[in-house]
Amino acid sequence: MIEVTGSLKSRLALWLLVTVSGLGALLLLEAYFGARNAAQRAFDSQLEAAGLTIAEGIQWQGGQPVVKIPAAALSILATHHQERVFYAVLDARGETITADLDFSVPAAWQDAAAQRPVWRDARFLGADWRLHGRELESAGWQTQDPVQIWVGHTLSGRRALAHELFERSVSRFLAMVLLAGVLMLLAMRAALTPMRRLRHLLRQRTAEDMRPLDARVPEELRELAETLDTLFARQRDSHDALLRFTADASHQLKTPLAGLQHTSELALEERSPEAWHEALTMIHRRAADTSRLASQLLSLARLRHLTGHHETQCVELATLVRDTLLESAASLAARDHDLGLAPLPEAPTTIRGEPWALRELLGNLIDNALRYTPAGTTITVRVKRDAESVELVVEDDGPGVPTAWLGRLHQPFERGGRQDTEGSGLGLAIVHSIALRHAAELSLEAGDQGGLRVRLRFPFAATGTTS
Amino acid sequence: MRILVVEDDALLARSLNKSLAPLGHQVESFTTYQAAHAAMERAEFDLILLDLGLPDGDGLGLLSWLRDRGNATPVLIITARDAIDDRVRGLDEGADDYLAKPFSLAELEARVRALLRRSQQRTSNRLSLGPLSFDAQSGAVYLDATPLDLPHRERCLIEGLLQHGERIAPRELLENRVFGFAEVGSNALEVYVSRLRKRLEGSGLRVRTFRGLGYRLEMDTP
Amino acid sequence: MKTWMAALLLTIAPVLAGAAQAQPLRIEAALDREVVQPLLDAFARQNPDIEVHFHDRSTREVDRRVAAGPPPDVVISSAMPWQLARVNQGYARRLDTPETRNWPQWAKWRDAVFGFTFEPIVMAYRLDLARHMLPPTTHADLHDLLDTHPALLRGRVTTYSPSVSGIGYTLFQQDARYSSRFWDLVAAMGAADVALEDETRAMLEGLTQGRYWLGYNLLGSYAMVWAQDHPEVMVQVPKDYALVLMRMAFVHRDAPHPRAAIRFMEFLLSRAGQRVLAGQTPLFSIRPDVVGPYTAQRLRDQVGDHLYPIPLDASLLAFIDPKRRAAFMDRWRREINILEDGD
Repeated sequence: MIEVTGSLKSRLALWLLVTVSGLGALLLLEAYFGARNAAQRAFDSQLEAAGLTIAEGIQWQGGQPVVKIPAAALSILATHHQERVFYAVLDARGETITADLDFSVPAAWQDAAAQRPVWRDARFLGADWRLHGRELESAGWQTQDPVQIWVGHTLSGRRALAHELFERSVSRFLAMVLLAGVLMLLAMRAALTPMRRLRHLLRQRTAEDMRPLDARVPEELRELAETLDTLFARQRDSHDALLRFTADASHQLKTPLAGLQHTSELALEERSPEAWHEALTMIHRRAADTSRLASQLLSLARLRHLTGHHETQCVELATLVRDTLLESAASLAARDHDLGLAPLPEAPTTIRGEPWALRELLGNLIDNALRYTPAGTTITVRVKRDAESVELVVEDDGPGVPTAWLGRLHQPFERGGRQDTEGSGLGLAIVHSIALRHAAELSLEAGDQGGLRVRLRFPFAATGTTS
Repeated sequence: MRILVVEDDALLARSLNKSLAPLGHQVESFTTYQAAHAAMERAEFDLILLDLGLPDGDGLGLLSWLRDRGNATPVLIITARDAIDDRVRGLDEGADDYLAKPFSLAELEARVRALLRRSQQRTSNRLSLGPLSFDAQSGAVYLDATPLDLPHRERCLIEGLLQHGERIAPRELLENRVFGFAEVGSNALEVYVSRLRKRLEGSGLRVRTFRGLGYRLEMDTP
Repeated sequence: MKTWMAALLLTIAPVLAGAAQAQPLRIEAALDREVVQPLLDAFARQNPDIEVHFHDRSTREVDRRVAAGPPPDVVISSAMPWQLARVNQGYARRLDTPETRNWPQWAKWRDAVFGFTFEPIVMAYRLDLARHMLPPTTHADLHDLLDTHPALLRGRVTTYSPSVSGIGYTLFQQDARYSSRFWDLVAAMGAADVALEDETRAMLEGLTQGRYWLGYNLLGSYAMVWAQDHPEVMVQVPKDYALVLMRMAFVHRDAPHPRAAIRFMEFLLSRAGQRVLAGQTPLFSIRPDVVGPYTAQRLRDQVGDHLYPIPLDASLLAFIDPKRRAAFMDRWRREINILEDGD
């Protein structure tokens, strides 16, 4: 079943959005502080220039500072944003020599300014201010007390500049995001082209077309394309196997049916009841064999070509074997054989599997043993346990199979050179298929008493393990 | 006995009829779901042979309808579908036994016989096979209508064997029945089986051993 | 129900009262009432709901009242540095109206204070002077006259007192900025025993009465009107450079009637208001789109390019720095008394 879990485009777009908003938030934050700092620096240097200009207007006469505030200093201070301006010239004791506003610079700031020029933020007279203080010491013929120059202005210029710089960053960023989005869309279209090509190629295929793919794909799609190729190859194999099997099966079914037809045809031409009886006996036997053959063929076809997921469960093999044997041993077919069960192991014999298939497997093994051995043969079923595996053994003391045939017995329609019996030659093929489904090892060998021994080793499934 | 055969294949229906009628049964055949349904409503049967693949419906539907009405008539399902889940579903719906096509008529006769006997025993409260019978209420054992005076454990053994009819009575089950949960030697049961064999000598019945599996009461000449 | 009625009454009451009773508007101005009366009348016609209380005071008194006592609504003064200082101290309200936005940048500061007149600073002389000598047309001429006719002009020259008049101080500071020879002129005026007056009006009266023959740094606006009625007084816009003074108006931060104050400012700066200034007062309109006898444009056409408006910016603050003012006044006293010291 195909479940659609959103589109790649929207997923990529979402990722882009998340990345861009994350990065964008950081960038904008950076831009905001950057703009503020740039504005701060630009205007701080103007404060400094104003302070220096005022310093130019200070002269010492008789060791006393004489202040003449230059008009230009105030123009610089006000900037073209027409800030409110503050200046103060303080003497060495911190007393105001002259000032334009009623604000006294805190003593701590004065101490700091005595070391090096300082910039401070302040709030007074109903406005936010940026202040700059520097100490002025002048060389001269006499020792002179230093003076401090404090200048300041309001912040509208800084704010306007920071705002402008920030706005510029934001618009640049937005333009970049827009461009990136468009490029991303184009790139996505381009990147998805091979996928569309592949889709087109697959759509054009007929159901029977299982040739390998002939497509150019990028690295990312290689795995998919290769998987598809593998799938096609498997389908091809399976298709071929089915064709072979169907051919075999039709041969195997048509032959006995032809026999039936001929026998009955001949019998109808006869006039003696003895001949009829003889023919009917033959027909009956052949019909029974053929119906068995048909059901086994279907069973094998189903096992081999059963598609899709098969559900396995934990199966206690010993219990399953005993239950199956209780039925088989009681059946009419087993009337003349000694079909028995060897003592079962105490330890758990859990394997993972499908109970119906395991029953089918054991049924076929017993059926084979009953069918290919003479009456009175002893057939023993065993279940053994070792550390990693559970072994199922079916052994008889019948005539056995020549060693040369053993390896081929599990192939369909193989009867170990025994075309004389009523078997179909499919039993072991079914067993083999089921063994494959259960990851079990199938081995055929000569038994101790000369008969055939069939061994199946299943991986032990410790209870509690999950599939 | 009255047997209802629901089978759409005319040839098969005919052969079923021909093989069951000589055993002294009255056989009625129907080929469709509707007809069978009507017949079931109308009359009581002792056994129903039910084909699942009917032209106008699923035999399982018929079976569940029957069981929903509380009808316990034994039902033997006959089907060409060999899928195991069908068998399981059939048994879940209340079928008593299951036979996959193709099957031999001898197999069918044996199953029918067993089913009929089981339903009979359910009603009569008496277990029997050939000349041997066991009254579940009194616990008395009769051979050719003659009461046998048996020790308790042998009576238990006979009851266990008869309960399984023509199927194999599993060994563990018989041991439980005869010895309770007491620990016994591996061949203790075999001792009692030997005694029983001696008693049954000449009665036309014998006890057959199934190696590693259990025992079964059988008629000497099947 | 009752409360609902009460609420309704409370809501309506102020509206009814406002319609019935005029809104007061207090203007503190260093501006002659009779000069500005046409403007006030025009405003009153347009705004009958506003009752204007116009107080004409000296520049120093106006400045004092900004910070002390009940705050006025509108403050008008020609003492430009003091006005600017008040704005810098935060006493002005920033205005954002169509007229304030469009007002020329050079005539406003911080969108709070607006220069709304364009008054040239002139020299004035009596016709008597012309009979004895060529009347001065430049600052250098004036200096030469004082140099060459000390006896004739002694006691007959008048100008502003920088210590008493804010306008006078501002003008002399500007003069000192433009020419280093300004102090020679001061020394010459000191030598001529210059008479220092507080107001242009006093200087004009002295000229009419014959006490003075020559006046320096008079407000052109008043002088020109005076000359129209007094033919013996001639007005000369200096030809080398002529300072231009702007009267500055702002709405007080704590104005009790800000809405009326803003409406007054709007009118003052509007075309209608400026047309009244240009046509009916000698205050000269700044707006280039106003036509009348008294406009900045017309003045420029008449006297050429040498009009130097006193810059309306923070540099004005330097001139009222107490130290700088003290230094300037020291120098003034030194120069004006230079001969007496020498005697």
